[in-house]
Amino acid sequence: MGLFLQVLLDGLWSGLLYGLIAAGLSLIWGVLDIINFAHGEFLMAGMYVSFFLGFLFKIDPLVSWVASAAFLFLLGVVTYKFVVKRTLGKAMAPLLATFGLSMVIKNFAMNRFTPNFRILSGTIMEGKVISLGQGAVMIPVPNLVTALFSLVVLGLLYWMLTRTRFGWAVQATAMDVEAARLMGVNTERIFILVFGIGGACVGVAAGLLPSYLATHPDVGSLFGLIAFMVVAMGGFGSIPGALLAAILIGLIESFAGFYIAPVFKYVAVFGVYLLVIMIRPKGLFGW
Amino acid sequence: MQRKLMLVVMAVLLVLGAGAQEKIIKIGTLFPLTGPVATAGQRCTAAVETIVDIINGVYPNLDLPIAKKAGLLDGYKIVLVKADHQGKPDVAKSEAERLYEQEKVFAIIGCYNSAATKPASAVAERLQKIFMCGASSSAALTEREFKYFFRLAPTDRIESYEFVEWFQELNKSRNANIRTAAVIYENTEFGKHAADEAKAASAKAGIKIIADVPFTPGATNLNSEIQKLKAANADALFGAVLGADYSLMVRTMKQANWKPKIAINYCSGYQDPNIAQQLGQDGWYFMGSAGYTPEFGMRFMKAVAPVEEYFKKKVNVPFDSNSIQEAVAMYVLALAIEKAGSLDTEKVAEVLRTTTFDSPLSMGGKVQFEIPGGQNIKAQSVISQIQNGKYITVYPYEYKDGDAIFPMPGW
Repeated sequence: MGLFLQVLLDGLWSGLLYGLIAAGLSLIWGVLDIINFAHGEFLMAGMYVSFFLGFLFKIDPLVSWVASAAFLFLLGVVTYKFVVKRTLGKAMAPLLATFGLSMVIKNFAMNRFTPNFRILSGTIMEGKVISLGQGAVMIPVPNLVTALFSLVVLGLLYWMLTRTRFGWAVQATAMDVEAARLMGVNTERIFILVFGIGGACVGVAAGLLPSYLATHPDVGSLFGLIAFMVVAMGGFGSIPGALLAAILIGLIESFAGFYIAPVFKYVAVFGVYLLVIMIRPKGLFGW
Repeated sequence: MQRKLMLVVMAVLLVLGAGAQEKIIKIGTLFPLTGPVATAGQRCTAAVETIVDIINGVYPNLDLPIAKKAGLLDGYKIVLVKADHQGKPDVAKSEAERLYEQEKVFAIIGCYNSAATKPASAVAERLQKIFMCGASSSAALTEREFKYFFRLAPTDRIESYEFVEWFQELNKSRNANIRTAAVIYENTEFGKHAADEAKAASAKAGIKIIADVPFTPGATNLNSEIQKLKAANADALFGAVLGADYSLMVRTMKQANWKPKIAINYCSGYQDPNIAQQLGQDGWYFMGSAGYTPEFGMRFMKAVAPVEEYFKKKVNVPFDSNSIQEAVAMYVLALAIEKAGSLDTEKVAEVLRTTTFDSPLSMGGKVQFEIPGGQNIKAQSVISQIQNGKYITVYPYEYKDGDAIFPMPGW
């Protein structure tokens, strides 16, 4: 039973982390109808911010996530203004532009910071584990804290989208840009803020991750891929959908990895994703 | 008149220029300069560069024959053509083709990842060009009986038997009671071969493998992998885990509060001095094979230290077991060209096949390639353990810096 619970919790922590990373992507996808291919690289850039704040100024990730989120908010705004806006409405152009941006960010990191793996040591949460049932179940504190952040951020995002005037404007823009504009919604401002908020969400995850994961130029690649999957599976633009899909993916990964074979875990994840998309192309909670 | 004079001067300059251009030997380096193991690839490239600098210049302070005069043969300089295979076998193949056929390199040094070395060296064999392999450790590479392939590093097989011999020695001298083992490895050519060799060597020694855990390199987490290992709770753990995955493995083991009695690693993240340093105490007491450590070099490979100073200027870290093998690959190739007295591939390859080279940069001091196959039969490695942040050689005893701390203390 202890082992089952451990595998379940491991899946839950992974799932909630994926949910936090995917939330911003879901928002951008849902509102602007474009895929930000640089999402994984946004994560990587935020991790470098947190790592260097910790390494150079001894600021703990528990604090530096604020800086990561702010940095990625700005990066999101700049990306919209200078990359996405110029290509919007031109078929595949935004997709290819963000793909190009991902290459620029990754190679910039490679060039400036070298491909070295950077591990932040001496953080408040480092190595802290809550042991339950005389060690039968171990709860790593960094993963638990990231999971709690995920729930809070997703909750806030959901509240903002459904309970505030700004959120209604975002939903209206997502449904019909022209109609929203005619109703007096400043859609341009919505686009800018959505890109910024999307960046800030992944920035929260990026700020916390260096407390248990090495930072390097390639770190965002697989996270980015999983985030696309979470969004497509959960439904474009749906925050509850993204959360549910992320948890589902985390659990499938954990259970398939432990009970079938570790090497099978991503096969199972991508397999289930394919199945869901084939049966329900809009995703579980698609708008 | 002036115009004629200018034409003559230009013609002379052109002829001289053409002559100077011919005095170069192009050598290709093919390593993962981007991708998950880019750090290792960049260090390997820097190691080759260091030796090329020494060959092309004059370094009387170094105890190497190639350092005493500038260039090879009668003044040939080596020019490196650097390529990146990104850790991908298909890219390695096409880059090897480009280097040989378009860049016209004399030989390629590479590729670190066994999975990339395999197709790239097959290109060399097809074109009958020399391929010097420093660090790729898959035993299968030298079992193909290629004629133009020469590998410096010890294979996973040699290391596996050394690991198991070490377990048996611990059983005998420290009453270690190592009876079961688990294997964790990246699901690649390198990882799979290392795991196969670990299983074969263990089986011969009567050690039972009770967990076989491959994983996808660059994974977002290793939770289920470590839970598998924890559930099996083997006495010993073999690891073939590269780069950032190694740090993730160690940290996940800590989170799961699990350690075997002994954890021993092939050519992997374990050997990266940066990772060992950054992991801090979490990385202590793990063991692994080592073809070189600075501590070992100070005692047994004194010629390395001054060369290492030049290497450090490029990458800020000392040689590790992989990068030094790539340096030796370039060094031995240079010796072979000098001895052949020509840039004829057949003649240089024949020298490589038939000569025992003095190599002050190698553990054991000699390099000799077995024919067929091209494996360096003088290759040696030792087993080290990280203690207080330093790589301490613990076995074989004739090389040891200190006693092994066994079993691994808990987290």
